[in-house]
Amino acid sequence: MTGRAFRVPPARPAVAGWLAIAAAAAALVMTLAGWQAGDWTIDVPWAPTLGFRFALAFDGFAALYAFLAAGIGLLVFVYATAYLPRHLDAESRPQADAGRFWSWMVLFMASMIGLAASQDLILMFVFFDLTAVSSYFLIGFDRHRSDARGAALLALVVTAGSAVAMLLGGVVLEGEYGTFSLPAIIEAAALTPATTIGCVLIAVAALAKSAQVPFHFWLPRAMAAPTPVSAYLHSAAMVAAGVLVLGRIHPLLSLDPCVLDALIVAGFASIAVGGILALAQDELKQVLAYSTISQYGYVVVLYGIGGPAGAAGAALYVVAHAISKSALFLTAGAVTEATGESRLTQLGGLVREMPLVAVASGVAAASLAAFPVTLGFFKDELFFAAAIEKAPIVGVGAVLAAGLTLAYLGRFWLGVFAGPHRPLQHGVPSAMVIPIVVLAALTVVGGIVVGPFAALAADAAAGIHGSPVEVAPAYHLDGRTENLMTLGAWAVGLALLAATRVRDAVSRLVARAGDRLGPRRLYGLVLDTVDRVSETVHRAEVRDLRTSLAAILVPTGILAAFGFVVTPTDGSYDVGPLGVADVPLIVLLALGVGAALTATRDTGRLRPVLALSVLGFALAGVYAILGAPDVALVALVIETVLSIVFVAVFARLPATAVADRPSSGHPGIAGRRNAIAGVLAGLSAFAVIWSALSRPPLGPPDAAAHIRLTPDAHGGDVVTVILADFRGLDTMVEITVLAVAVIGVTSLLRRRSEP
Amino acid sequence: MTPIVELIAPRLLPIASVVAIALIVKGYANVGEGFGAGVIVALAIGLRYVVLGPERADRTIPIVRAAPLVAVTGLLIALGSGFFGLLFGSPPFTHYPPPGEPVVRIGALELTTAVAFDVGIFLLVVGAVVMLIRQLSWLVAEDDS
Repeated sequence: MTGRAFRVPPARPAVAGWLAIAAAAAALVMTLAGWQAGDWTIDVPWAPTLGFRFALAFDGFAALYAFLAAGIGLLVFVYATAYLPRHLDAESRPQADAGRFWSWMVLFMASMIGLAASQDLILMFVFFDLTAVSSYFLIGFDRHRSDARGAALLALVVTAGSAVAMLLGGVVLEGEYGTFSLPAIIEAAALTPATTIGCVLIAVAALAKSAQVPFHFWLPRAMAAPTPVSAYLHSAAMVAAGVLVLGRIHPLLSLDPCVLDALIVAGFASIAVGGILALAQDELKQVLAYSTISQYGYVVVLYGIGGPAGAAGAALYVVAHAISKSALFLTAGAVTEATGESRLTQLGGLVREMPLVAVASGVAAASLAAFPVTLGFFKDELFFAAAIEKAPIVGVGAVLAAGLTLAYLGRFWLGVFAGPHRPLQHGVPSAMVIPIVVLAALTVVGGIVVGPFAALAADAAAGIHGSPVEVAPAYHLDGRTENLMTLGAWAVGLALLAATRVRDAVSRLVARAGDRLGPRRLYGLVLDTVDRVSETVHRAEVRDLRTSLAAILVPTGILAAFGFVVTPTDGSYDVGPLGVADVPLIVLLALGVGAALTATRDTGRLRPVLALSVLGFALAGVYAILGAPDVALVALVIETVLSIVFVAVFARLPATAVADRPSSGHPGIAGRRNAIAGVLAGLSAFAVIWSALSRPPLGPPDAAAHIRLTPDAHGGDVVTVILADFRGLDTMVEITVLAVAVIGVTSLLRRRSEP
Repeated sequence: MTPIVELIAPRLLPIASVVAIALIVKGYANVGEGFGAGVIVALAIGLRYVVLGPERADRTIPIVRAAPLVAVTGLLIALGSGFFGLLFGSPPFTHYPPPGEPVVRIGALELTTAVAFDVGIFLLVVGAVVMLIRQLSWLVAEDDS
């Protein structure tokens, strides 16, 4: 991100940008209307046999997160219309690449709103993963840079990988309650081991998404994303998705006090790790990334505290944080744009050149640090109130945490704007300043007229807590505990801000310990190992055609053999009677056996292929005799196509290739290995087929029903009717596979020749 | 190539087409369906490529250039006839007319949406296999030269 030199950007932002802004504005208006109208639901069966429902409910909780996704999305999109052309220009990329950015951004917004409203665990998982997938492409938007690609992969592996835990959790809960519907589960919820396991699994996925310790390490690296992506995903959306899910399942989490205590521990660990590391970061966006880890730690602690106080605090906290943090991210982007610098040590003294940005970001930082006359003051008020209600030790932790917040934000703002005056390289377009000012104005409005925000938080908290919650933040000019705690937090923060040397030393120490022992190292190790194993297996498999075939046939044979060992063989290998009428069948089979032996023994090139064709035709004859004319027809035509293709290709192969090839007798290790693989695969196939033919089919015979129903389907030929009607969906999938395979083969062949 | 094959190969397509049409028309009452019919037509075209080589074959039946289009059309017809029932709230692969209703007949052929599905499969198979054969044929010819 350093030293970018912006040239003069093209004046017109892409149409896609305006479309995205329109989409965000429409979403915002609809969110507002939906919230005012009260509960509004969609519920349609999606996969009824599996119990999935496409169930969305626009309750207060959904409204809060939808407001964040749409509102902050709108402002960030406005900002991005100015930012993106410059960014693409600086990276020497065509402006057309912007289309990709906008489509992923809008998809992200939509899936975020869908996640907020979803009431079905499977649907929730789908939206959860959709946010992960779109974030992968957004973080890796600068795909020519390897750090961006690595960061995108890291974010995807951590968040989508842990999302598997969420799916598992959903399945466990379904096993316990017989439904994926979240409201139904919450209504029936009781404290059972399965409930605890299920919701802990979901909580793990949520914590990883919110970049909580020990999954936090993906977030700082994700700062390789363009600034609007960071401002949106890493303040109000992607990371908020985690606490969103925690809030949704909170009634289940709060059944078990141990789970809540674990949340408090995880939250405080994140506050500490994120806050302390934020103190020593040099890159602007890194400071903010660690700050986000820390701030969502607050929300997790509030969930852990639980009760009406915790629920109310968590709801308001998410709103206040998202507004301020996105403003700060946008500030970082604007400052870097104006100066070409992204490091605190290289910045400073910008207050005179960028007064509006300085004031606006100052207000945003003040809100996060809980100064009065900002929305953030109330978030800390509720936080402190909930903490002391829980336990004194939690209260002490809360004060220290708030002090830490003040310290790193103070360092951030002072580092950018204070100090000796410094000139700018470029002006900053107003589209990049106005969103910051709007966000800052929102925090001030919230600090004076807190009513609407409190109402929104109360509605959401009711969803978290499970019953109506009163949220009544206000200024109290007295010596109540919350006020004293706020003063204490400021004192701690200012002390940390002043004690530069101690602060840096501690932060570096923690950073080094984290590098040595942290989960990031483990991630690298795991990824490397998996990569190496995959590479080794791949190489062994694709060495030549024989190893590729053996890779399929040998494991199949071994698995089948294993199956034979563990299943009872009584009556499985029936020889059956043999009559005069079977003579044609036996002749054909003998022909097949002869052809197969020829194919393996013959050293020529064309003869084995022709022998295989003979084998195929013989089997087609067997089908015809056994009364399966449809199968025989298809076998016959396919066999003919294969023969012709083989002959056509082989007829043109250069004659020398035969001499180069080791003879089919294959003396030596390779020959023996091939023989062993072939015998193993052949024997297991033989045993499987024999055993299958010996057993009468289990369960009610489908065939009889199919034959009975065929006239109803206006048909005479059962096989055709099964293919086109009874099992039409199967056929559809199969021919789709055929189409895909053809596309694959065509593209492989086309690489060499273009007819 | 023997003279007999050279004589037969270019003249096989009309015959194969008639057989294929018969298989589709009679498919619902008798042996055969779209898949087999598709392979038979593709076979006739494939034989022509083997005997004449790609350049001459391309010249004699220029329509093969449209093979990808034919395949995609077939896939779309199959998809459409399989899923149009969703618009009326019935599950996929509900064919019309439903059991017991009268059907329009053309000889042995009863016109139901299942037949459209079969035609879709036929087109897809013809298109796909011809595409493969043609690509392969060009590849071999290129290696030769």
